[in-house]
Amino acid sequence: MDLAEMETFYDVMRRQGITRRSFMKYCSLTAAALGLSPSFVPKIAHAMENKPRTPVIWVHGLECTCCSESFIRSAHPLAKDVVLSMISLDYDDTLMAAAGHQAEAALQDTIEKYKGNYILAVEGNPPLNEDGMFCIIGGKPFVDQLRHAAEHAKAVISWGACASYGCVQAAKPNPTRATPVHKVITDKPIIKVPGCPPIAEVMTGVITYMLTFDRLPELDRQGRPAMFYSQRIHDKCYRRPHFDAGQFVEQWDDDNARKGYCLYKMGCKGPTTYNACATTRWNGGVSFPIQSGHGCIGCSEDGFWDQGSFYDRVTDLTQFGVEANADEVGLAAAGVVGGAVAAHAAVSALKNAQRKSQKSKTREEA
Amino acid sequence: MTDRQLLVGPFNRVEGDLELKLDISNGKVSAAYANSPLFRGFERMLLGMKPSDALTITPRICGICSISQSAAAAFGLADAAGAGLAREGEKVATLLHAVENVADHITHFNLFFMPDFARAKYEGRSWHAEAVARFTAEKGSSLHQTVAARAELLHIVGLLGGKWPHTLAIQPGGVTRAPTARDIIRMGASLKAFRKYLEERLFAAPLETFLSLSNSGELESWTSGDAGLFVRIANELGLSEMGEGPGRYMSYGAYPMSTGPLFAAGRWADGVVSPVETEAIREDVSYAWMLGDALHPTEGQTLPDAEMREPGYSWCKAPRLGGQTVEVGAMARQIVDGHPLAVSMATGKGVLGRITGRLIEIARTQIVMEELLASIDVGQRFMDRVVVPENGEGVGLVEAARGSLGHWMKFEDGEIVSYQIIAPTTWNFSPRDASGVAGPVEAALVGAPVDPDEETPVSVQHIVRSFDPCMVCTVH
Repeated sequence: MDLAEMETFYDVMRRQGITRRSFMKYCSLTAAALGLSPSFVPKIAHAMENKPRTPVIWVHGLECTCCSESFIRSAHPLAKDVVLSMISLDYDDTLMAAAGHQAEAALQDTIEKYKGNYILAVEGNPPLNEDGMFCIIGGKPFVDQLRHAAEHAKAVISWGACASYGCVQAAKPNPTRATPVHKVITDKPIIKVPGCPPIAEVMTGVITYMLTFDRLPELDRQGRPAMFYSQRIHDKCYRRPHFDAGQFVEQWDDDNARKGYCLYKMGCKGPTTYNACATTRWNGGVSFPIQSGHGCIGCSEDGFWDQGSFYDRVTDLTQFGVEANADEVGLAAAGVVGGAVAAHAAVSALKNAQRKSQKSKTREEA
Repeated sequence: MTDRQLLVGPFNRVEGDLELKLDISNGKVSAAYANSPLFRGFERMLLGMKPSDALTITPRICGICSISQSAAAAFGLADAAGAGLAREGEKVATLLHAVENVADHITHFNLFFMPDFARAKYEGRSWHAEAVARFTAEKGSSLHQTVAARAELLHIVGLLGGKWPHTLAIQPGGVTRAPTARDIIRMGASLKAFRKYLEERLFAAPLETFLSLSNSGELESWTSGDAGLFVRIANELGLSEMGEGPGRYMSYGAYPMSTGPLFAAGRWADGVVSPVETEAIREDVSYAWMLGDALHPTEGQTLPDAEMREPGYSWCKAPRLGGQTVEVGAMARQIVDGHPLAVSMATGKGVLGRITGRLIEIARTQIVMEELLASIDVGQRFMDRVVVPENGEGVGLVEAARGSLGHWMKFEDGEIVSYQIIAPTTWNFSPRDASGVAGPVEAALVGAPVDPDEETPVSVQHIVRSFDPCMVCTVH
């Protein structure tokens, strides 16, 4: 289809009954969400008034649908509405009206109509064992649908830990050989938005950026958008002063837990996790896991599901294979903090932790 | 005699993937076969992990009932330790779980079930224009209001659990977050806002008025709100005449507290409630792509048959209670608990009954949440110390939005050596068993009308969605 014939984002939004005033408000919200200065607001507005709408195909593989659930709960109902109407989810099998053959046809139509222009958003991943038969869509393995839909996509978004890294379903022994998207699709730009699930505002932020500026956001070495994944949870954590002061929760039910001390000794993975939880927070900015008194499990990092117990302390950063691939900046920072954490452990004579760390290593090697 | 066969799938607006094989004769479904085409193997991955890791792994079975999974795991670990949640902690755990269940119910009604009535097939019906305006998939006014109301309600989970989905706050000894007096006020505001949504939109009447309906005759004249539109549609389309379940219902008892469950446990059949004998549960694998025998979940195994040999046709095992199928879900819970309207519709009401059960439960759960919140004493302990034994076994039984969920676990030397899960949709969408008895949905589909030109019969969609299947939980 000729691009000139396609509607602009603004056309679509007008058609959805969104007012000019709401549209401008949306542009401001977007700029804020993306960390851009107010001077970008007119640029965003201009882009949306003139650029053809970018169609999005959203497919689901081996997954739990938590990414969709997170997405439709974005904090700004306006942003969510606008993004939903903008991308129109040309094909989304969780939310769409059609079913059965109609749905299959809708997918095919969208691919044909927008060849080379659409973004493919993938939730979940393909299992490759037994020729992919552990996840069958319309009688065919999901991996076939994925390859087919990716062939003419402009870019691919890997939503969540499943699509980005494999997630818990890839936990040893990975019974179905659940495989991240980038290991199957190797000839398209892929943007990873990890987390289990990712934060809603991060999802809407990433997709808005791509639709508005028609390009991929700046990515880190792991392929994650730097604007949301460049900061360590530990560095932005409101409990950090307690870490620095050596004040820790020792048991779930102790007074220190009530006082909101640091959860490092309860296995918090904040020191090795890069995500926006500590700043953007969850469910409309009300809280995030550490604020609810439970340590971070590092769900936006590769391999978080196979690092020994979720309640083991972070004492040995070599356990976290992900650090080897992170940004050099991230690597350096993590190295320093790794040292600090190790020193802390030694000072507190955490023999128990060291034993645990040994044990998980053995398990890893086994 | 079979006139033709239909293969229906992918099934959209259900959680996960589903495929149905239908035999059609004389314009009706004569046999149905439900296939759950997604297998991940959670029960196998858990082997060798530390018992407490089940708290993080099992919620990730499902993105919309993750708290149910986490609660079942926590109760199972507590059971193994011979302990329970701290008194105030169990209130917070219940509040977290109730929010998730009610959020699932309104999502199902508005986003998954009602959009089918906005289809072009129903053009010309007196209610069609109204259904289109309110329930067109992704666009209807009710959908938008629901998504906003739901996001606001889930702030409670955000506050108590840090994030949703995949909340980590529920532990064997209680919850990690002790709410402050300020939190209580804030959550009170969220609950008030949710009641407003229910009383202005879904029921458009006080919840107590809806709950005072005591039989299906009174329900038939309910006209207000989206519930009223549904009743009007159901009356006209005869939704009570399609999708009749097995007539046997089961509930493990919703929200197990030290004072007993808030919605009673039991098995209902022919008007009689008896205790659920969980030791009489067997998971039959005759028609599943699974190897092994029909076993109780404490002995159960998960051995997928890579060859996918016949007569297997699904990854789903077939759980049976005392050798029989049972229906689980909101309607089952409300019948077992004895709500008059639910009991009056226990048989012969098909799709209408199942949706009504969910509406009753939405209204009742709102009241439960308000009372719970008011009863929380912020000065008390919310977590007791619980040491999960290195060797032992435990059972966690809860009621997820879609019905009874059980986790059966065994540990040796601090590692999980057995972990079996039976999810609600495993019960409802099970394949046939050794004696050839069809699962509840398979049986409910028999008799569904199919027009000659229909490839994805709309009656089949109404029936399947009335069960609110969660296919990702089914096989896990």
